[in-house]
Amino acid sequence: MNESALPLAGLRVLDISSFIAAPAAAVVLADWGADVVKVEGPEGDPNRRIMHDSSNYPKAEVNYPWHLDSRNKRSVVLDLKAPDGRAALDRLIAASDVLICNFPPPVRDKLKLDYDSAKAVNPRLIYASLTGYGESGPDRDRPGFDVTAYFARSGMLEAQRYEGGPPGVPVPAQGDRATAMSLVSAILMAVIHRDRTGEGAWVGTSLLGNGLWSCGVVAQAALVGAYLPHRPPPERPRSALGNIYRTSDDRWLQLTIVREDKMWPGVCAALERPDLAQDARFATTADRRRHSTELATVLREAFAVRPYEHWLAALAGNGITFGVISRPQDVPDDAQAVACGAVVDTAIPEMPRTLANPIKLGFASPRIAGPAPALGEHSDAVLTEAGLTAAEIAALRKTGAVR
Amino acid sequence: MSEAAPSDLPLADLVVLDVSSFIAAPAAAVALADYGADVIKIEPPGEGDPHRHNWKNAGYPQSDRNFPWQLDGRLKRSIALDLKNAEARPVLERLVRRADVMIVNFPPPARERLRLRYDDMQALNDRLVYCSLTGYGESGPDRDRPGFDITAYFGRSGILDAARYEGGPPGLSLPAQGDRATAMTLVASILMGLRQRDRTGKGCWVGTSLYANGAWSNGTSVAGALLGAKLPSRQAPDRPRNALTNLYRTRDDRWLQLLLVRDDRLWQPFCDAIGHPALASDPRFATRDDRRTRPQELVEVLMPIFAARDYDDWEKALAGTGVPFGVIGRVADVVADEQAEHAGIFADTTNPEVPRTINNPIRLGFAKPRPAGPPPEVGEHSEEILRELAYDEAEIAALRAAGALG
Repeated sequence: MNESALPLAGLRVLDISSFIAAPAAAVVLADWGADVVKVEGPEGDPNRRIMHDSSNYPKAEVNYPWHLDSRNKRSVVLDLKAPDGRAALDRLIAASDVLICNFPPPVRDKLKLDYDSAKAVNPRLIYASLTGYGESGPDRDRPGFDVTAYFARSGMLEAQRYEGGPPGVPVPAQGDRATAMSLVSAILMAVIHRDRTGEGAWVGTSLLGNGLWSCGVVAQAALVGAYLPHRPPPERPRSALGNIYRTSDDRWLQLTIVREDKMWPGVCAALERPDLAQDARFATTADRRRHSTELATVLREAFAVRPYEHWLAALAGNGITFGVISRPQDVPDDAQAVACGAVVDTAIPEMPRTLANPIKLGFASPRIAGPAPALGEHSDAVLTEAGLTAAEIAALRKTGAVR
Repeated sequence: MSEAAPSDLPLADLVVLDVSSFIAAPAAAVALADYGADVIKIEPPGEGDPHRHNWKNAGYPQSDRNFPWQLDGRLKRSIALDLKNAEARPVLERLVRRADVMIVNFPPPARERLRLRYDDMQALNDRLVYCSLTGYGESGPDRDRPGFDITAYFGRSGILDAARYEGGPPGLSLPAQGDRATAMTLVASILMGLRQRDRTGKGCWVGTSLYANGAWSNGTSVAGALLGAKLPSRQAPDRPRNALTNLYRTRDDRWLQLLLVRDDRLWQPFCDAIGHPALASDPRFATRDDRRTRPQELVEVLMPIFAARDYDDWEKALAGTGVPFGVIGRVADVVADEQAEHAGIFADTTNPEVPRTINNPIRLGFAKPRPAGPPPEVGEHSEEILRELAYDEAEIAALRAAGALG
């Protein structure tokens, strides 16, 4: 597959955003052929340092989050607070198809980077903005993050807890990456609209909107006054055979037994506890529901003495259905993760494999990831392509507006 | 922004066949319908899409209204067609010939059995954008395995294992949480397919899997795992690394996220705000270092303090003091959240049973999503759609008599 055949080949994208959701959308566009120029301030996108700055990130020698969120982009450093730096950005805007930003509205206004200002420079521009909480309203100016806007404010963390337990804990950037796909969809709608009408457009999405879309069943229920009770903890399940159990190596098994009467003897056999099959407390489905806490205690103690791998074999061998709860470290070696195209090879020697975006197309394969750019690595090339002369670039470098 | 005429919607004139069930794939079709597409849902006669009955599922909030179906069935027309019945095949083929997009989520063996594979459809309409959703991908050892949100998106991708407190059980996901996120990826793939067709005149296959979407959402942890890096464990709130950036339970079983990072400046104001000014002079917690090295002692002091008052009291007590805290919202509050209105998250419907619903998260400056009425009954539009395909009364009656049409 040559690159010109990629569906977004020829699309020029300015990624003037930071951290994860908006830059990840730009990555997806780059994967499918867009020429993505990342415009960074002199300090660079703070996502370059997040692996060290966040105590919740896995630590590695390689800056994998930066590679993941910046692959196949070029970096230009512009000081947008300096008038000549801001003027240089207009030259880039004039030569671009899509602009992605995630500054809160007041910062956009201060930088004269609101949609109307950008449109005045390039009426065909597709301007995509991501906010935490929307483009208007009391919280429109509030910086929004994955945990606060997507998960906490939407009610998800509160709903994702066991009865009496603490709120749920999302994994790093979980909502940001899901939101990136909405932003991609919004941009593509505008691309189709522009192909048909010749007009540019504003498009966007919010982390809060994506959080609520994702938990839409629960949110839609709330709109008709219905609520989900908190899940009973695994020690007191509603059904001991639809419950999770910890194994001796601190992993968890999810029993998902729907046809209990048929499978109950198999469970007893897998556990090597034939006595349970004769236990009157657990004789029928109704008995097992009535004594679910007692049964959960019996099962908890039984599962706790052998490791996860043992139970996988024992349950499968007795025809018992269960759900796999993988650890993140199991995914890289999961043949199916490769088969579904989630884990792919890169052209980055220090990070030979990465995650593909989840879009699959029959007519094109995504670009192979190269190393993420160094800060300002492509400043000269990008500005030259936008029509700036060597003298103009030198002048901008002299004032510090370009680095 | 002025109200756009339906013909101005970006997907007006697009005919979409939704041959899918449950949530992720039908939700993608909803987003296309929101923006103008004519979505025809092909369902089995009788019961229809099993998702119509999901609202009675014990894992769902209990209501006397079929709220999930409003969400995932809106703006669609329903034709009840028994795809296993040979008489129905010509109808399907006529539908495919005039469609732009077809969405399926049968596992590959069922697609094969029903002759609904991409190749089968392409032979009928080479401009068709064919979109399939699987649990685990289109090839590989688990390609035929039915995938669900909880198993494929959350369990297999490592999210549930990672989303937990140290020593605690795996995290929980909400009904269809991963399905609905995956729907946005399907929308993006379909739009890429449509753009490709605009450029080349040729249709194509596009798709995604729940597993790939879960792994993408868990991308930071999985990318770390690809290098052998492990996610640091999250301390439970009663054993925090730092007692001042921790969760506290209030008397009414809600939780407050304390975010006191600048405790060098804010320690005394914090102790005042929580009504324990004397704590500021407790020698165990006198300096920042003391507070950092004795998180367990400090958390045992703070837990009963926070547990003694209700959440609303704490919100009032802390507001304006400069003590930063995060809100852990409840879904019940969000539906009345003014900000959610501004963000365009909710929309009114013309269905009195379910008067408000949730917009898809895509916002466009040039078009607003269509307002929704009630979702269709099974086969509500069977005759209307067949007439559009130039079937006459006698043919329709024959299809009904054969049991091909419901």
